[in-house]
Amino acid sequence: MKIEIEWQDYDVIVVGSGGSGGQAARAAADAGANVLSVSKDPVGASDTKISEGIATVRGSGAEDDTEDVLSENLKMAGGDLPVRAITDAFAKDSTSAYDRYRTQGLRPTIKEDGSGPEARPLPFGGHTRRRSVGHKNSGIAFGHANWNAIVQGNRVDYIEDAWFLDLVTEDVSNGSGPKKKIVGGLIYDAARGVLIAVRAPSVVIAAGGLSSLYFPNTDTMRGNTGDGYAIAARAGADLVDMEQVQFLPFCLASPPAYEGLCAGEPVMASYLGVLRDKNGKIILDSVFLRTRAECAAAILRAVEDGRGSPNGGAYLDMTANKELPLSGPYFQRFGETCLPSSYNTARQALGKKAAKFEEPWEVRPGAHYHMGGIRADANGASAGGEGDGDAAHGIAGLFTAGGAMGGVFGANRLGSTSLTEGAVFGGRSGQAAAAHARETWGRNRDAAFQPAIDQVNRRFGQKGTLAAATLKLELQQEAWKNIGPVRTAEKLDRMDGLIAECTARLDEVAIPAYGMWNQAFIEFQELRNLLDCAKAVADAARERDGSLGGHVRFDRKTISAFSKPYSTVVRLNDDGWQVARLERERTPMKRLISYKVEDTKRKIQLKWLRMLPKGVKDRKLLARYQAIMGKGAVEKVSAPAISIGSAEAATGESTRA
Amino acid sequence: MKVEIVTVRDGEEAVVEFDYARRSEDERPMVLDVLLQAQATTMPDLAFRYGCRARNCGVCTIDVNGRPIIACRARAREGDRLSPMATLPAVADLVVRRDGIARQMRGRLQTAQGNDLNVEAPEEYHELTSCIECYACLNKCPMHMRNFEGGLPGDMDPADRPDPAEGYRWGNPFSLLKLQMIRLDPLTAESGREAALDNAIDLGLDACVGCPGCKCGVGIDLKGLVVKALVDAAGDRLPSPAEKALKRAS
Repeated sequence: MKIEIEWQDYDVIVVGSGGSGGQAARAAADAGANVLSVSKDPVGASDTKISEGIATVRGSGAEDDTEDVLSENLKMAGGDLPVRAITDAFAKDSTSAYDRYRTQGLRPTIKEDGSGPEARPLPFGGHTRRRSVGHKNSGIAFGHANWNAIVQGNRVDYIEDAWFLDLVTEDVSNGSGPKKKIVGGLIYDAARGVLIAVRAPSVVIAAGGLSSLYFPNTDTMRGNTGDGYAIAARAGADLVDMEQVQFLPFCLASPPAYEGLCAGEPVMASYLGVLRDKNGKIILDSVFLRTRAECAAAILRAVEDGRGSPNGGAYLDMTANKELPLSGPYFQRFGETCLPSSYNTARQALGKKAAKFEEPWEVRPGAHYHMGGIRADANGASAGGEGDGDAAHGIAGLFTAGGAMGGVFGANRLGSTSLTEGAVFGGRSGQAAAAHARETWGRNRDAAFQPAIDQVNRRFGQKGTLAAATLKLELQQEAWKNIGPVRTAEKLDRMDGLIAECTARLDEVAIPAYGMWNQAFIEFQELRNLLDCAKAVADAARERDGSLGGHVRFDRKTISAFSKPYSTVVRLNDDGWQVARLERERTPMKRLISYKVEDTKRKIQLKWLRMLPKGVKDRKLLARYQAIMGKGAVEKVSAPAISIGSAEAATGESTRA
Repeated sequence: MKVEIVTVRDGEEAVVEFDYARRSEDERPMVLDVLLQAQATTMPDLAFRYGCRARNCGVCTIDVNGRPIIACRARAREGDRLSPMATLPAVADLVVRRDGIARQMRGRLQTAQGNDLNVEAPEEYHELTSCIECYACLNKCPMHMRNFEGGLPGDMDPADRPDPAEGYRWGNPFSLLKLQMIRLDPLTAESGREAALDNAIDLGLDACVGCPGCKCGVGIDLKGLVVKALVDAAGDRLPSPAEKALKRAS
């Protein structure tokens, strides 16, 4: 069936309207480009909007938080996989990028001396400084700012309910050999039932996330079907570190409506929180100093050994914090306010006793964030070549930002960094995309669009007996088992077989012959993207021959921080999927050792603290809480962080009239 | 648990009965759980919006028994009838076209004008940022209904309906909330505050005079914090309730 086609012209297309897409669109438009923002979900409805709303702002909590300190922190936490130029860019722009959000309406709590936004009391897990700034109404506050950035107009047009299907490229030749350049993209506008062919020299892919590759559910948006990675890979772009999927350790395991939602972060466990297996044995101590990956791995090892909790997890036990008479009330307050949105979810799901931290919480890992992504330079331009690569070897005109971009966090992303990432690289990629559009002359041949258009027209009206939504669910369940938080060579082989089988069945999916909001076609397109992502993750996971960060191999050793670091790179070309390694620069041994020593020291101090007699421990902790939260913290009238009118007034939450 | 789901395919409406299988005896599923199970079993191509499952993204609003609810946080009950939000044009199954609302704000949004970003916003500002844009507030809104000749989009011939791509002419509690946020923001200059009020009046603020008030899906006091604040600020620029009643009578 032939669907009606419209042709449009823009300087820059931004795919995705979340934090990175909103900032990219605004930055490109402010730099003079005419921008089209495209998103499949309603404008601004993204992981940024539903996040905990905590951003990394360098210098907000510590005087000595220099650019070097933050950049090195990110790089080392990421197992030396991040590209130093990229972590430097993050550190350099974190404050100015955050301030752009403020000009769009984000209003944080300001420090008493009026010098800037107030940081949360403790450094978030893995951060070497206090620098995480929280916001009232969590991510929703960021959602409003992003919405304003796009909807205001001022050279940004937007379409929602529109699936960006594929990039359109042309082959060109430059000094370094054959190369591709972007000439536009093809969009399925479901709400109007038309295809839109957009001629544009620059495209920013800001549609990251692939956690919907996994079932059981996660705390992220349904729409995280890996579209950005799959679209870029099909156009020939390099993807890096695709094995590095971040699983949040503390997601709820029950009841079903809450399964997978985030209940908290390591920092919330505070000084005395530990993880226990079903027999009550401690499987991880000093939880609040651990990375997400360390916590998730500990839980999964217990599950794999048959010591898991009834719903396939473990117990996050914070009761020791609470039972101390003097410091306990301070901990209660800390726990409530540390991650208000997660705490609220946990309270609703687990009940009063759990909300008072008087019983352990049953938790299990859930897919959350994807560290891997489109290989790029520090401006988000698609990159290729050896080592850290460069834009000259990437696809000309292709840019990326936010969760879609690789090379920022490597093997582990620290809490509160993703909102900043979206702002920093959204801003950079938007500006770079506008500059590229200015430099690009000449009209492209519309013929380049034809193969993509033909492919879509062939799918509408495809006869078959299978439903894409059903295949999707099967794929999600298998992905969790085989390329999820626990991987082995055997599992990876099994996944390869399943991907091949499922790919072959794409031709048997039934797709009715009408244009207007064709759900079967939408499911088909997302399934296709998920399959490409599954392949990229599986290939990278095989290449990464040992556990590192978000990639946990139960049949291999952990890769030492002192060994030569490398990133995996996968790409799709005429010969199929290719995988290779990219050498990364290791942090100088001296720095690496001092980082490890510091880390060990903090853990030993904590161990000592835990072993002290109860009374001494209580007084020491009281002093610490008072130092970070202020002496009156528990007497303050507790203002709810989400200040909605009242539960009774929320007409949307009850079917009772 | 049996529910009815209204489906629209290629313009044809049908009502499908779905029998939800509880996963445990005491399970009290949310409406979204029912839709997800329908999609996973007998209705694989069922079209419905959802995002976060945690009442944050605001996209899963549908009507249950004719009233808008947020599907991920409202419990389903025996005999419920699930249909697309009646206040916006239906596209497919439970999906409605939302963009006519946001588009009316194009050119009406002000960005900060102050130099010092380090100022605290008042508490009311933050109460308004808790809006998740679920559009439950459109229900029974006389201002919004002006877009559809005083009724609902479903009452009109599709060819006569206003084009959402142009942005709706008349406002609603959500657009007023966005304008009131601009007015409450300490970084908005006086001229911006005035422009926001002008925009509220242009979008049909007079419809709020004498209206019993709107209800918010997540419990924001729209009537007090948004509508009253704007109506009070507009003062004489709006007809009084008595004038309005008189106009209606004539």
